[in-house]
Amino acid sequence: MNPLDQHQLDTTRRQFFGRSATGIGVAALASLLGRGGAMAGPLAAGGTPSAKGLPGLPHFAAKAKRVIYLFQNGAPTHVELFDYKKRLTELHGTPVPEGYIGGKRFSTMTGKADGKLVLAPIEPFKQRGRSGAWVSDLLPYTAAIADDLCFVKSMHTDAVNHAPAISLILSGSQTPGRPTLGAWLTYGLGSEVENLPAFVVMTSVSKGTSCGQIFYDFYWGSGFLPSRFQGVKFRASSDPVLYLKNPEGLSRQMRRAMLDDIAAMNQMRLKEYADPEIATRIAQYEMAFKMQASVPDLTDVSKEPQSVLDLYGPSVKEPGTYAYNCLMARRLIERDVRFVQVMHAGWDQHNSITTELYTQCRDTDQPSAGLITDLKQRGLLDDTLVIWGGEFGRTPFIQGDIKDRKRWGRDHHPYAFTVWMAGGGVKSGMSYGETDDLAMNVVRDPVHVHDLQATILHQLGIDHERLTYRFQGRNFRLTDVHGQVVRGIV
Amino acid sequence: MRSGWKDWLRVWLLVILGSSGFSRSSHAVEAISFSRDVMPVLSEHCFQCHGPDEKARKAKLRLDSREGVLLSGKDGVAAVIPGQSRRSKLVQRIESTHADELMPPPENKHPLKREQIALLKRWIDEGAVWGKHWAFEKPVRPSLPQVKQRAWPRNDLDYFVLRQIEKESLKPSPEERSPTLVRRLSLDLLGLPPTVADLEVLAGGAISDPAYTAIVDRYLSSPHYGERMAWDWLDAARYADSNGYQGDSERTMWPWRDWVVKAFNENLSFDQFTLWQIAGDLLPQATSEQKLATGFLRNHMINGEGGRIPEENRVDYAMDMSETTGTVWLGLTFNCCRCHDHKFDPLTQRDYYGMLAFFNQTPVDGSGGNPQTPPLLEVPSAEQVKRGQTIQAALNSQAALLGEYELKKFERPSGESAKASSGFGALPKEIQDALVVETAKRDATVLAKLSAHWKTNDLVYFEKLEMLRQRRVESDDLTRSIPRVMVMEDRPERRDTFVLFKGLYDKPGQKVEMGVPASLPGLPPGSPTNRLGLARWVVSPENPLTARVIVNRLWQQFFGIGLVKTAEDFGVQGEKPVNAELLDWLAVEFRESGWDVKHLCRLIVTSATYRQSSRSTPQRTERDPQNRLLARGPRFRMPSWMLRDYALSVSELLEEQVGGNSVNPYQPSGVWEEATFGVKKYSQDTGAALYRRSLYTFWRRIIAPPLFFDTASRQSCTVKQPRTNTPLQALTTLNDVTYFEAARVLAQKVMELAVENRSARIALAVRKVLGRPPSAEEAARLDRAILRYEHDFTMNPTAVEQLLSVGEAKRNPALNVSELASLTLVCSSLLNLDEALTKE
Repeated sequence: MNPLDQHQLDTTRRQFFGRSATGIGVAALASLLGRGGAMAGPLAAGGTPSAKGLPGLPHFAAKAKRVIYLFQNGAPTHVELFDYKKRLTELHGTPVPEGYIGGKRFSTMTGKADGKLVLAPIEPFKQRGRSGAWVSDLLPYTAAIADDLCFVKSMHTDAVNHAPAISLILSGSQTPGRPTLGAWLTYGLGSEVENLPAFVVMTSVSKGTSCGQIFYDFYWGSGFLPSRFQGVKFRASSDPVLYLKNPEGLSRQMRRAMLDDIAAMNQMRLKEYADPEIATRIAQYEMAFKMQASVPDLTDVSKEPQSVLDLYGPSVKEPGTYAYNCLMARRLIERDVRFVQVMHAGWDQHNSITTELYTQCRDTDQPSAGLITDLKQRGLLDDTLVIWGGEFGRTPFIQGDIKDRKRWGRDHHPYAFTVWMAGGGVKSGMSYGETDDLAMNVVRDPVHVHDLQATILHQLGIDHERLTYRFQGRNFRLTDVHGQVVRGIV
Repeated sequence: MRSGWKDWLRVWLLVILGSSGFSRSSHAVEAISFSRDVMPVLSEHCFQCHGPDEKARKAKLRLDSREGVLLSGKDGVAAVIPGQSRRSKLVQRIESTHADELMPPPENKHPLKREQIALLKRWIDEGAVWGKHWAFEKPVRPSLPQVKQRAWPRNDLDYFVLRQIEKESLKPSPEERSPTLVRRLSLDLLGLPPTVADLEVLAGGAISDPAYTAIVDRYLSSPHYGERMAWDWLDAARYADSNGYQGDSERTMWPWRDWVVKAFNENLSFDQFTLWQIAGDLLPQATSEQKLATGFLRNHMINGEGGRIPEENRVDYAMDMSETTGTVWLGLTFNCCRCHDHKFDPLTQRDYYGMLAFFNQTPVDGSGGNPQTPPLLEVPSAEQVKRGQTIQAALNSQAALLGEYELKKFERPSGESAKASSGFGALPKEIQDALVVETAKRDATVLAKLSAHWKTNDLVYFEKLEMLRQRRVESDDLTRSIPRVMVMEDRPERRDTFVLFKGLYDKPGQKVEMGVPASLPGLPPGSPTNRLGLARWVVSPENPLTARVIVNRLWQQFFGIGLVKTAEDFGVQGEKPVNAELLDWLAVEFRESGWDVKHLCRLIVTSATYRQSSRSTPQRTERDPQNRLLARGPRFRMPSWMLRDYALSVSELLEEQVGGNSVNPYQPSGVWEEATFGVKKYSQDTGAALYRRSLYTFWRRIIAPPLFFDTASRQSCTVKQPRTNTPLQALTTLNDVTYFEAARVLAQKVMELAVENRSARIALAVRKVLGRPPSAEEAARLDRAILRYEHDFTMNPTAVEQLLSVGEAKRNPALNVSELASLTLVCSSLLNLDEALTKE
């Protein structure tokens, strides 16, 4: 165990036994469950009672308290959406000029990229708002809120395939098995909510996509951190938490009565065995009972005004859609959940730029922008950091036959891509970094995925070099041995 | 007299000061041990830049060897001058007040603590005695330590435990009494609760030694013992029923899983168990079973993702085999060395690729096209073998009859084929082709053509052809149904292995030969340089790691935490053993017993250490919260797979069949579908398959069975399972059909046995779930609960009907439904008690 964690556990146990000297009654039990209660430390996160983070955290004043990561799984095309280059249109259909590709590694679908033909963006771009940020006509709703966003156009990564690249951006390592961003944050900062998990994940996929990537559970894993820090994945159904509902016929009153009996008998055992795990178990059964009420309350959108629902678009009331998940993200954040990871698959347009990209934009544009607007009008955007982006970009050159417009595609491109951020103390109405005139390589202010991670932690008041966990004899951190805070955007 | 007084004082000081950790109090008075005290500080704070990794080394200074620390620097001053800490450069730098001089550099934000600096100075002043990392020295059997409570030990291992308990001025706990101890034993050796019969034989009170020994022997020879032992091995071996990654195709590895169960049950010695799994295919005249064992290595994930480069996959698989072997047997984490020399352990990148070379010889192909990637081994069951023989005999006789008939039908000179018969030329070409094939060798298609041809004009011939065709189809069906398991082989020609830059398959550097890490003893003399040689080295008496690593994991299985807590890391950065002498004694005992696993299990469970009560007091718990000293018995929540087996067993739903293909028990609808975009549909089994032991549950890699929590992901090797305590677990055991149906069926069984009397029902239910009678307080509480539920249910027949319809198991229509529903809730509460969920 991490020495800090161990220390905390010991401290808590001392406090716990301090209490138990006078006998732990129902009143003491109630305080176990309350904020800052005696059991706070070891119960952290993962849907456990309100938990303090590590001592000494945050390292400095935080700008953001919560995070929503709108993860665009499959890699959105920066070339079509944000990174406008008029030279692409000028060179459309001609081979990529010398000097842009030189020996770079692409996926086997491209193989050697020399001689590939330039493919112009399929829809026009315009400059938007006062900031004049370039956004494609494919994203009218995002375009309309461009002044609230910070576009980082100089992202780059190390991996060329989906799973390793997603693992890298979410956990700092291409190989699965490291804790993800949400796990690190709940481990470090603890939980602010006592009846919901601190780290929630929701997934969706566009209907009719031909290339949905699978959501691996290591995308929200806790790696070597204790498993209570792993993201709790809400399911795309009316029953978002597994086993949440009582068996048919078992009323809430009966459940209450059962839990009272269980707690009372566990108390007897606790007296005899003095094992703190028994006290924890009593508290966790209480939390389970609370979640049985809080989760349905969370998903009951009947009291949302129509004007708010309209912000998210037509499929907002359909569980499992991106729009529904964006609304849930707001409702979770409102309830002080620390980290919400919304993942949407279907951006992998190897041969469907002129077809599926439209559906993809239609399904995600309005809900993403709606979420920002909704957070802003509630005053939640100030201390909520929202990140929108995928695992890499797409090639400025074509995959497929230039004469067959219906099957145009773009391959994986790790050398440049765009993400946007909003709220949480990040500057709004700005574009940061720059790629060359073909959107192929970063030429100014490069931001590696480890830099992005360092910046996110920084906004939450964490020095990414000091949030570490000891495993297999090494102090691990999210940013591995890299990462620089992107000072230009904070 | 004097020392007695001192001990007293120490006890008092401990009581008054409330010592917060047992280790601190003892170290203060002891001599410095290099490997225990100094090495960890150097490793933690210095090795990153001054350790084994040559490329990362700063200022050409290495602090991981005695030569290194004694070497004079540019200014002629060595980092360490024995006996003279003030003159030593190391001390000057760690105490420097100049930011640019100070070590470790302040920007690393990982400063030395004051007591660590003091320790290093004291070590130097006391002569800077150097030593090897403890785990790299061969264990020798320590002599039994002197203990005060000489009547306590039941076998040798107890002396080591007691010595440490006494050193901390603690006392062992009293021996646990019958129901609890037998339950503990049963859970540990079988993974199942004891039967009511077991509990009755040993009803109440202390258990006599012969009675205890008899029950230990019985459990060790139960077929369920192997099932219990297999689980942890399957986690380590990353066993699953699908390939992982995108697509997550199904695979057939369960015959290997059944072999593991069998090997534990037959008590195959652990060195053979090892040899077979690492290199069974290379043993002289390897048997089918020995080849099957190598499935261990082939449990790696297989990537079928489009766009992946086959060679990259292939190298990944070989790395996975090598790293898994490293962790499972050697307790070493090799993966750091993929890219660079180990920062802390004396393992180099060359060592890594030397190990990889052993596994780099397989013909396994990385293209992912064939989800069941060869080499494959056919593993027919005994029944299939028998059936195959029967079918073959029937086929042969049928073929002979047909042959005789054809001799007459197509008359020809003896010894000639049908070609020589008169009407042959007039037959269609494909019939001619078919006729010249020997009857026993004709396949089903050929036979179908022939029979169709003669259906209308030679009914006798037609029937004979059809009879043979049916035998052929049966034979084909059987062949198809024989499981094929992925196993190991080496290619005839050696594949060269290279150091790969940053671990990238397409960035080969220097060529390396097969070899074991240079800091460990070499391959045993006379052993071949291949996987077999490696396997022999793993279990050679000279290997300092294997026996320690394995006994540590067994200890972890029984006591919940290893003597080395970092079961996955015996390297410099791993935890030092909490009781080094005990670990070494066990390791040597294990090896010298002929690697006898059952012997080791018996030794543990018959020890006084194991037989202690796990009752504690707040003071004792605080003294040693994790129970590292073992002054009390083990107490921890059972693994989730065991919880399920437990519920099935107490409700008598458990289907006890050992082995066979994996099954799909209850699972909430849509779990697979959602994770795979509807590609993988879960088709739940019915009947007995719902109630097989957890071990046989189909394990889909990208979405593990959701009712198991805190389990290994089975994606890569895991030798230590987490043990958390979350509300989601509570929801599982409260609401999952498996558990609620078990409660319902248990209630039914109880009502069938304890007919009218409510208190008898409560007593029986508690006894079945907890193995003990209820206390008066518990009985009264549960009695009130039943009355309340019955009252509610009488007014709500719909709810009763719904509750009693959970799960497939049949309901006894003769029972009063309100009573049954009420008792069901009580049984569900009982199954959710901490006591029921916990091995104590």
